[in-house]
Amino acid sequence: MMYHEQYRLAVLANPLGNDPELEAHRAQCEECRAFTDRVLAFERRLVSALKVTTPSGAKILPFGNRTAVRHAKGGRWLALAASATIAFVVAAGIWLTPRSSLAADVVAHMAGEPAAWKRHAALSAGELAPVLKRANMTLDPKAPSVSYANSCDFRGQIVPHLVVQSPRGPVTVMVLIHESVSKASQFDEQGYRGTILPIPQHGSIAVLMKEPGTTAAEIDAIAAQVRSAIVWGSSRSVIER
Amino acid sequence: MMDRVRAKQGRARFQALCLALRPDLLRFAFWLCHDHALAEDVVQESMLRAWKAQDSLEDEKAAKPWFVTIVRRELARTFERKRLNTVNIDDLVELEDSSLAAGDQTDLAEMRAAIFKLPEEYREPLVMQSLLGYSTAEIASELNLSQSAVLSRLFRARHQLRALCGEDTIGDPKE
Repeated sequence: MMYHEQYRLAVLANPLGNDPELEAHRAQCEECRAFTDRVLAFERRLVSALKVTTPSGAKILPFGNRTAVRHAKGGRWLALAASATIAFVVAAGIWLTPRSSLAADVVAHMAGEPAAWKRHAALSAGELAPVLKRANMTLDPKAPSVSYANSCDFRGQIVPHLVVQSPRGPVTVMVLIHESVSKASQFDEQGYRGTILPIPQHGSIAVLMKEPGTTAAEIDAIAAQVRSAIVWGSSRSVIER
Repeated sequence: MMDRVRAKQGRARFQALCLALRPDLLRFAFWLCHDHALAEDVVQESMLRAWKAQDSLEDEKAAKPWFVTIVRRELARTFERKRLNTVNIDDLVELEDSSLAAGDQTDLAEMRAAIFKLPEEYREPLVMQSLLGYSTAEIASELNLSQSAVLSRLFRARHQLRALCGEDTIGDPKE
């Protein structure tokens, strides 16, 4: 049997842990449930605080070819000269080679944010609103319940990263306000299946799931539902959650 | 010809990997060294090292811990090479405030100031867990600690942080 102290020690050490013994204690102890909610709310603030804005990396990735890189270990002036050369080579490389696919970057971003999948309870209006506000958007009542929201750095821009709960399980939605696409495209990468939809004048949205067996049609239906629930600008029809 | 195409594809894949991981690596370095410019230098140098050693990365799925290890070593080398000036945390927070406080998120600025005040031995595992999504076992392996030592540090980190942020810690357990 687990005691309150033991439980709280474990929760403070790992708030997103899913040990069955912890879950059993949480299910039967109201005080510890409330304690967990407070710790999880604090954890969300902590994660947001840790995500300081970073400069875009596209211009300064340091490698062109392996030979050029060796020069960077020389003297300071040599290193500066090599850096300039490398920067030129990289700039040319980035210009001439295709940018990594948007879908691959979305999946890579997802993999770096495992906490996003672990919460299932709906966020309060106070938790959700600031994230949406930064993208000048809100959600109308048709939107599925949002269990995670964060303003994330994606390709050097801050975008909303949401997890909504669907009958098929959690669905990640990234509102890519700075990424325009000409048409909808589906992807299946590293166990994630999803779609990227254009939103005229507002970039695009990426919608993806990792539930095995999810069909493309199901993803499309969820994506359409989310897209139609987004309200841009300062519409008065917005209902706060 | 085929070799050149393969090399070009390899470079594009590596660039994509670096682009995807770079923001979190920069943040990780920043939370350890308290300095945006130094964090950029360290991550830049780490990527050079990673690029040269990319053959040792057998599985792209393991890229994140692989890069994190390189960044940690590069930071250690940097600290060894030059004795970095010590700074007053309050001055630092004030200086960094404009870049740390995004827009109207003053509570985040307060939280960031509190994170800086944590001892490094607590801050590092906390950043690895909460920012990078590391498991206890992964943190233990990276920091060469036992899992119980990691859990103990994580508990203390959050307990101290909550207190520094004015949270109600009456219900927090005693270790």
